[in-house]
Amino acid sequence: MFNRVAPMENRPVRRIAGVGASHRRTRIPRAIAACVLLLLGAAPALPAVVVFDRYSPYHHVQVIETGTLRILSFDGTRETQMSLTNPLEGHFEYTEYFHMPFVWNPEACNVLMIGLGGGSTQRSFLHYHTNTVIDTVELDPVVVEVARTYFGVTESARHRIHLQDGRVFLRRATNTYDIILLDAYTKTRYGSSIPPHLATKEFFELARDHMSTNGVLAYNVIGQLHGWRADIIGAIYRTMKEVFPQVYLFPARTSMNVVLVGTRSAEPYDAERVQQVGMELARKGVLTLPTISTRLRAFSNVAPRAARSSPVLTDDRAPVESLARESNR
Amino acid sequence: MLKTTAGAFVFLGGFAVMVLEIIGARYLARHFGGDFYIWISQIGVILIALALGYAIGGALADRFKTARFLALPLAVAGVFTFFIPAFTPSLLDRIVMRHPLDQPIPAVWQKLDPAIGSTLVFLLPCFVLAVLSPYTIRLAAHRIEHVGRISGLVYAASTIGSIAGVFVSGYILIDYFSVPAIFRGTGVLILALAGVSVVMDRWMKPTTTKQH
Repeated sequence: MFNRVAPMENRPVRRIAGVGASHRRTRIPRAIAACVLLLLGAAPALPAVVVFDRYSPYHHVQVIETGTLRILSFDGTRETQMSLTNPLEGHFEYTEYFHMPFVWNPEACNVLMIGLGGGSTQRSFLHYHTNTVIDTVELDPVVVEVARTYFGVTESARHRIHLQDGRVFLRRATNTYDIILLDAYTKTRYGSSIPPHLATKEFFELARDHMSTNGVLAYNVIGQLHGWRADIIGAIYRTMKEVFPQVYLFPARTSMNVVLVGTRSAEPYDAERVQQVGMELARKGVLTLPTISTRLRAFSNVAPRAARSSPVLTDDRAPVESLARESNR
Repeated sequence: MLKTTAGAFVFLGGFAVMVLEIIGARYLARHFGGDFYIWISQIGVILIALALGYAIGGALADRFKTARFLALPLAVAGVFTFFIPAFTPSLLDRIVMRHPLDQPIPAVWQKLDPAIGSTLVFLLPCFVLAVLSPYTIRLAAHRIEHVGRISGLVYAASTIGSIAGVFVSGYILIDYFSVPAIFRGTGVLILALAGVSVVMDRWMKPTTTKQH
């Protein structure tokens, strides 16, 4: 099971769309609809339409619409989902854990997000945290175009998009950020593809050096704590722990994502305190995410089991490819 | 002996080229980021090194006709490769940091900077390693009637070495060794080739055909 949401299989959509484009035009919608039904395992017969299809230097980028859901797909796997009736809905659960840094830093306003995708997080931050200013760094120009055209991502004084590699951006930036968010992984049918230069101790040091003293970093890793891809989560946990005094985990329930949160503050938090502080902030209107109480409950301060046997990733040695493919121990 | 020596020599040369290309891509990513233009740079620059090495190596072979001649360039390439982790990070950082801070790097430089980096680090050793192939053909082909067979053997051995270099780098070296250790190891391998080239002339004498 390699996709974020099970059971899902996007590739047939692409293949049939490709065949259909050259001939048998009339059969496409029905064929695609059948495939997407298969993908979603959904009962109602919703037609699915590929509304954008292009190869960028990095991905096969597609935008697919099914019913009221708009989907951004990279190389046949889902990156972003957005409801067409309410753009603040329909997103993947894990993106909501990017709001958790406010628990440790309620006054945060300068936010750096590496990885744009369909902009679920940016949309949500601009809506729920009205005093934040966001710098987004995205490598792929086609993704930026798609985010603007199909996912309502706007640029303003509050949201700037930089077309650049995340690490190169940080190396050359003089700003400091209160929150740094990372969602730069992509997936293939063989598992997640991890840009190694965004997963090493040197990278986390660079991020820390661009963070305010109370800064918090949240990092999305694709995998599960005690199963699929446990080794890569263990390795990234250990690597973050080398740089940040406290590292916490928010495993998503509905998808194979774990959001790791590293704080510059050395003060340890437990589940009780996170719940208490989080709900207090919800009352004060700092954490206005509707699902906040459920999301706070995902908190864990227990090191993943795999962390004990995992290596610290460094620029000199980061065997992320094999870590992401090792079977469970 | 002749064929074995010639084959092994270019096999190891081809192996070293691909270790530098594959591991080099990982090495450059920490400075230049994302993978696509890194690969464009590595593949493009190493092919440039190969083209130059073949052309110049062939001409040199006709003039000098002894393997001993290769010892010095190989020694330089070996020492250079050994010290890549020591002296190139500051050079590569300077390429990225020459652009004004807090400003976006112009798109053209986002593409070309990795190629400049590849050139600084990998052009020289790969150029010298490419010289080995035409040079070995010249040394091993004692009779014009055998040039086809010998050059075929050299191409094949060198390419098989490169194939081995790709898979060994990607499946084994990257998992078990650090990137600097792999560069140092490759440097030692190139120095060993320099050592072999000193004594190789006597092994390259034809054993089955007599020369007149």
